[in-house]
Amino acid sequence: MSDDDRVPAQAWRRVHPVTPALKGWKTLVAVVAIVGYQAADDVRSAADLLGGRGWLIALGVVVLVALVGWGYAALAWRHMRFAVTDEAVHLHSGVLFRTQRQARLDRLQAVDVVQPLLARLLGLAELRLEVAGGSGSAVQLAYLREPDAQRLRSELLALAAGLRRPSAAGAPGSAAPGTAGPGIAVPAVAGSGTTTLPGAPVDAAPHAGEHPAGAVPAPAAFEEAPEQEVYALPMPRLIGASVRSGTVVGLVLLVIGGVVAAVVARDVSPLAVLLPAFLGFGGALWGRVNAGASFRAALSPDGIRLRHGLTEQRAQTVPPGRVQAVRLLQPVLWRGPDWWRVEINVAGYSQGQEASRATVLHPVATRDEAATALWLVLPDLGVEDPRALVEAALSGRDEDGGFTPAPRAARWVDPIGWRRHGVRVTRTALLARSGRVVRQVSVVPHERTQSLGLEQGPVQRRLGLASFVVHSTPGPVAPRVNHLDGRVAAALLDEQAERARTARAAARPEQWMRERV
Amino acid sequence: MTTPPAERPTDQPAPHPSDRTADLPGDRPTGPTPDRPTGASLPFEPEGVTWTPVSGRLATARLTALALWLGPVLALLVVLALATGASWLWVPAAVVAALGLWGALLVPRQVRALGYAERADDLLVRRGIMFRQLVVVPYGRMQYVDVSAGPFARRFGIASVQLHTASPATTASIDGLPPAEAARLRDRLASRGEARLAGL
Repeated sequence: MSDDDRVPAQAWRRVHPVTPALKGWKTLVAVVAIVGYQAADDVRSAADLLGGRGWLIALGVVVLVALVGWGYAALAWRHMRFAVTDEAVHLHSGVLFRTQRQARLDRLQAVDVVQPLLARLLGLAELRLEVAGGSGSAVQLAYLREPDAQRLRSELLALAAGLRRPSAAGAPGSAAPGTAGPGIAVPAVAGSGTTTLPGAPVDAAPHAGEHPAGAVPAPAAFEEAPEQEVYALPMPRLIGASVRSGTVVGLVLLVIGGVVAAVVARDVSPLAVLLPAFLGFGGALWGRVNAGASFRAALSPDGIRLRHGLTEQRAQTVPPGRVQAVRLLQPVLWRGPDWWRVEINVAGYSQGQEASRATVLHPVATRDEAATALWLVLPDLGVEDPRALVEAALSGRDEDGGFTPAPRAARWVDPIGWRRHGVRVTRTALLARSGRVVRQVSVVPHERTQSLGLEQGPVQRRLGLASFVVHSTPGPVAPRVNHLDGRVAAALLDEQAERARTARAAARPEQWMRERV
Repeated sequence: MTTPPAERPTDQPAPHPSDRTADLPGDRPTGPTPDRPTGASLPFEPEGVTWTPVSGRLATARLTALALWLGPVLALLVVLALATGASWLWVPAAVVAALGLWGALLVPRQVRALGYAERADDLLVRRGIMFRQLVVVPYGRMQYVDVSAGPFARRFGIASVQLHTASPATTASIDGLPPAEAARLRDRLASRGEARLAGL
């Protein structure tokens, strides 16, 4: 309503006209499936029905449902329009219940281009803008032609970065995202096979990801910011990692159990039980491979670019400073090949079933790649030798790498893993290390700390221990250090509150291409 | 954010005198390290922090709620035991009575353990005797503040203030504030948050 006044009429755009058909086919499939399922209950009478003129009626019903569904979708399409201004994205939608949504671009947390299989075949894509507003707060623009979606993404990212439209501003000082190349010096880690230390890129490009030095007058239109690939996940490793999972172990145990039962009972009926189990496990495995397939990460001035997916492809862009926390985790079975899963917290990716897909920074990383992934998020770990620190965090214990470990008393509360509990505070971030069986490291940049907590149970109090908790935005990472010495934890709480404050004061602005004010 | 109407005149509108904190160290057991240096801040007693306790009426409210829950159950069990003459029915009755007694002893201590402190840049909230918790919320990280008071709480003239950051893990709620104090705290938090506004 009121924002109609501020949006010029010609700025309103519509999504692609094929959208209703693309969205409607799911409804049709569901209806046909339900009808088919009902009919299958009584195959004979269904056959009788279809044998006569019944099939005409059936076809008529399907066509009618399709028409009604398509009509509604077309109506919805007519009512949906969006506009991009310098400050915000406006989206109007809804037939009966109208919604007007306005997402401020300086609050943009991530931009995803999602292509389900069918949309990809038609050359369409969905653009999804994540803002930190809790569940359902994303602005979904579906479907656009793929080049349009790409262009729109570049435009949104450039505007969110604080650049002005060339026509409107024409300010000579405004940097084009396309010219920011010198600012990023990405190490050749992925393909080369050399063990490039993340320490090296930090030294080579101390201001990596920061405001690029060479600002050049903006070109006529927003160009897609250049990107440099940092790592890619080879398919064999993904399959190997999926096989080395609890799912497969469970499946193998089940098969052995089934076969043993069948042999003992001299009856094949126990094997029939395995079929649904196979389907379930197979589905889980397929989901994992599907999501992680052709995973690639790249760095651009717009932030981290992630591309992945086999049937449904997803290209994510997480602008600088939007990652709230990182976790590196090693399941037991991945210890042999030394693989790690790297996950991130991004406000906006918090809720929904797709969150687990969107919050992966690297599905299966080698140790080098894990360090590189961490470097992507946090170019400056705030220590002299970042690689040594990462090593100590990943596999060290006690005081390795300058960590403050849990005291000896902690062995009563955690007899197995107590030597792994530890915390290290650097100039820029807090590293929490834990887990002996399932190794785990969480990293939180100081300026991303939301709030801090201290917890103590009765046993811990007897032993003079306390747990230190860092509250981060919703996501897979929940950083905490268990069983620290009580005094250490209290001191940490005090200092960390202070550190978070100073780090926030010095943090770069939300619009990452803007000069610091 | 709604401020509960102050139905009855609050007898203690100002923040309570924090002399209650003086007897709190008694709650802390002299653990295995009695030779703690007095200078170092104890885990839940940061240095230079004066805790503001919550209203004692919270204890009354919670005890009343407890009595309203357990009372009918206990009465029913006793009546059943008397009516049927089944002696085993006294066992659950005794259990319920013991629960009530335990609650009656625990609740006032729990309420006394609740406290908050406003520092220059953050708010501290602590709770719990057995399982202790201390939360530090920087003002600049606050997304919104809730003031709520149910019908029961309103009868006792208390309200609760809850702080929300972008993290759902931030459990910074202060129960049992007199409505005037709750409103004061809300406005103060809001203005301080605005002054130190930061993104995510």
